[in-house]
Amino acid sequence: MTQTASAANNTASTKAKEGSVAKKASGPKKARTKKKQGQAYPFTAIVGQEEMKLSLILNIIDPRIGGVLVMGHRGTGKSTTVRALAEVLPMIERVKDDVYNRNVNEYIEAEKPQKGRKTLAPEDLTIEDIPVPVVDLPLGATEDRVCGTIDIEQALTSGVKAFEPGLLAQSNRGFLYIDEVNLLDDHLVDVLLDVAASGRNVVEREGISIRHPARFVLVGSGNPEEGELRPQLLDRFGLHARIITITDVAKRVDIVKRRHEYDEDPQAFLKKWTREQKKLQKKILGAKDLLPEVTMSDEVLTDVAKLCMQLGIDGHRGELTITRTAHAFAAFSGDKEVTMDHVRAIAGLALRHRLRKDPLETMDPGEKIERELAKVLGEVEEV
Amino acid sequence: MIAFTDIVGMDMAKQALMLLAVDPSLGGVVVPAAVGSGKSTLARSFADILPEETPFVELPLNVTEDRLIGGVDLEATLAQGERVVQHGVLSKAHGGVLYVDSLSLLDSSAISHIMDAMSRGAVLVEREGLSEVHPSKFMLIGTYDPSDGEVRMGLLDRIGMIVPFNTQNDYRARKLIVKCVLGENGNEDTEDELKMLMGLIQAAKEQLPLVSMTREQMQGLIQSAVSLGVEGNRADIFAIRAAKASAALAQRTDVDEDDLKLALKLVLVPRATRMPEPEEEVMDEMPPDEEMPPDTPESEEQDAPEDSSEPDSNEEEEQEETPDMIEELMMEAVETELPDNIMNISLAAKRKSKSGSRGEALNNRRGRFVRSQEGEMRSGKVAIIPTLISAAPWQESRKQERKKKYGKVNTALVINKEDVRIKKFRDKSGTLYVFMVDASGSMALNRMRQAKGAVSHLLQNAYVHRDQVSLISFRGKEAQLLLPPSQSVDRAKRELDVLPTGGGTPLASALFLGLETAKQARTKGVSQIMFVLITDGRGNISLQSLYDQDAPKATKEEVENEIEGLAATVFAEGIASVVIDTQMNYLSRGEAPKLAEKLGGRYFYLPNAKAEEIAMAALS
Repeated sequence: MTQTASAANNTASTKAKEGSVAKKASGPKKARTKKKQGQAYPFTAIVGQEEMKLSLILNIIDPRIGGVLVMGHRGTGKSTTVRALAEVLPMIERVKDDVYNRNVNEYIEAEKPQKGRKTLAPEDLTIEDIPVPVVDLPLGATEDRVCGTIDIEQALTSGVKAFEPGLLAQSNRGFLYIDEVNLLDDHLVDVLLDVAASGRNVVEREGISIRHPARFVLVGSGNPEEGELRPQLLDRFGLHARIITITDVAKRVDIVKRRHEYDEDPQAFLKKWTREQKKLQKKILGAKDLLPEVTMSDEVLTDVAKLCMQLGIDGHRGELTITRTAHAFAAFSGDKEVTMDHVRAIAGLALRHRLRKDPLETMDPGEKIERELAKVLGEVEEV
Repeated sequence: MIAFTDIVGMDMAKQALMLLAVDPSLGGVVVPAAVGSGKSTLARSFADILPEETPFVELPLNVTEDRLIGGVDLEATLAQGERVVQHGVLSKAHGGVLYVDSLSLLDSSAISHIMDAMSRGAVLVEREGLSEVHPSKFMLIGTYDPSDGEVRMGLLDRIGMIVPFNTQNDYRARKLIVKCVLGENGNEDTEDELKMLMGLIQAAKEQLPLVSMTREQMQGLIQSAVSLGVEGNRADIFAIRAAKASAALAQRTDVDEDDLKLALKLVLVPRATRMPEPEEEVMDEMPPDEEMPPDTPESEEQDAPEDSSEPDSNEEEEQEETPDMIEELMMEAVETELPDNIMNISLAAKRKSKSGSRGEALNNRRGRFVRSQEGEMRSGKVAIIPTLISAAPWQESRKQERKKKYGKVNTALVINKEDVRIKKFRDKSGTLYVFMVDASGSMALNRMRQAKGAVSHLLQNAYVHRDQVSLISFRGKEAQLLLPPSQSVDRAKRELDVLPTGGGTPLASALFLGLETAKQARTKGVSQIMFVLITDGRGNISLQSLYDQDAPKATKEEVENEIEGLAATVFAEGIASVVIDTQMNYLSRGEAPKLAEKLGGRYFYLPNAKAEEIAMAALS
């Protein structure tokens, strides 16, 4: 029988006391929470690169969209933008110090009564608000740190077999960011594919057997010239944003000037952008609230299905993603009804990486989507 | 040890290092230079002009991942009974210099970690139960010999200054270097000179915050970056910093023309991906059959807005420094440095390298440590931490067991056979496919399309398996390396799309270039290499004619002998090959099957098959 995630808290140790679950969760790990690497560059101060920014925002509004892959030229602010994201993210509620960031219901569900233990009631738990976590998965990470492993310190000092949660646990209900995702080692890609598909992380190693929720928005970035992504992983990303070097000199001067200002005095720069940041945060929250009310008519849905069919997209993930993204985009625009205009705005993002690879095809995927969309909408005859 | 001030020649590199000493946020300096030019001596002497006790860490090429980013210090951990962290090289270089000799030979995972640390200013350690952030801000000094291959663009992008590669060997300067090394020319003033230089740098550091740059100058630099097709925004920032540091060194508060010129030369021009406008002037100087360097990345993707980037030569107003004037300045810098520099920097891999010049020692490098697995102690390297981890939970019970059995326990740890974990390494890089595409006149155009289709399918396959691909085309006099080994199928496809055809069939040259490419790849740890030749096999241009213009035209026999010799070398080197014959049946005299035989490779006849089938067959 597989243990539930409680094994992390209430370890295989016979010493673990009952009823101390919530407290134990913090345990010695508390000191380990990552130190902040200084304040990130403000999201709203990033010049241009609207496609990438929009994709990230839409994923905050609806995490089910399934993440973003940002591919493009080096030095165009890919990782700066993703790291800036943390500052505009809303707060979530979790059981205090829970290493898996679970909310009360998930927690109680997972900690279901086992032999000789009382059912937990919501009153027994303390709740705290934390910002949606953004977890960085560096290329050099080892599998044990990603999935979690036995806590060697506890094992050596007290002989206790305790589970030490990894990055997947930390990123539950948050964002998991991989820079240079195209260079990620294959075995880690396999792990990610597994977990992303099931929303759970299952650890069976070193005598521990644990499963815990790991639902995260996967964000990857990279430069296609350095290597390509495995098709299975590519398919996992909800949206695919592309980013190229800005050639507008005035904009580039702006970028340089802002960067300089930030480097000179980060605090002052952040202060200057606080208002913009707050404004965006509010807009995102508003969209999140509005999202459940957004509807899509059958006509629009039919057109979306037609579009996917015309483009020869396999499976239903394309349709699902484009529909969800269009809903989120409508909510972000303050509309309650999804129109084809919304669809058009995000079709490229949602479908670009799902077109069948034709080696001899020279047309840009974005253009192809645009063309088929015009056909579906009957706009082609008029032109 | 030779002091910074005693080094002769390499003035540009010295200048770059001084700018870096003034403003470390320039990120670093890359010095491409031939063997024996004294580049590493210069790099090491950089410590002379830095404040005392600045860390100067040299990165060995065979550095392992755990030494690079840090990990658990095993001895201390065992002694103290709690996790003790050992900082990696990247963290040790914090606040100082990280020096890499033979930067182009560094393996790609190490490069990724350096890149990550540079963009983050810190190292994230997520390994073997550790989760830590170590600050890691350093200046990177990299030297390399371009004949060993190129440095990854992503890394170069994060390093502020790239010293133009100078092929000229100043004989006198080298003689002086030698004398210096031998101590014949001992300079008694060295100490004073160094002191003066350090004073100068210190003064410049204080001056730096006072240096200002006009908006026009800034625009001018950025405009130059746009017209040179420089990718991303980092170079803009570096160029501005370099110009300012240069002004500070001259104890000025305003940036002047010389500062801008230096910034152009050290920062922007080396990153050029295309010739700036106006193209005609530069192009005309080149031999007619040598077009724009074909592997300048992205050039077609980012067409600069011509209106904003073209220098306005019509109106010559008496303005101070308009962006346009800086653009002209750029042209000037470019004219003195180009086309040589563009060719050298972005296409250096094309140049013939001296065989076996170095790198042999690297062959015994291991792959990447990926995970640990149960296994026999003797069957591999023991992964100590995982072994301990698996043994740890049972210590109490085992000790008790032993006590019962023997009455006492005399070891701190009881490790059983089944606890042993063996390190599993991943072969660093899959297979390298070197595609050699015959683009000579004898390849009819429709056949070319078919060949491209087959290559595309092979590329797709390589893409799925994360193999590396390299593309060589041969036509006219000489084979050309269109794409050095890379994982980018996109780029290979793009190169293929625009491949021109016509001219002779320098098959020997292609094989030679392929062998060079293979040799370089081997020094980087790629063990499996496959040549995929798409040709009719009718080589008719000799390799000899390349080096000796006046040589009489090689006879058919001579050409054949050359090819035979090269093919035998390919076979002897253990390189697998596939020949895809493109010739019509009725024209064939069986050259391609013969070639396949000599190469010890497989043969496929294209006209009969579909592209996809060939691809599958070739890879099966």
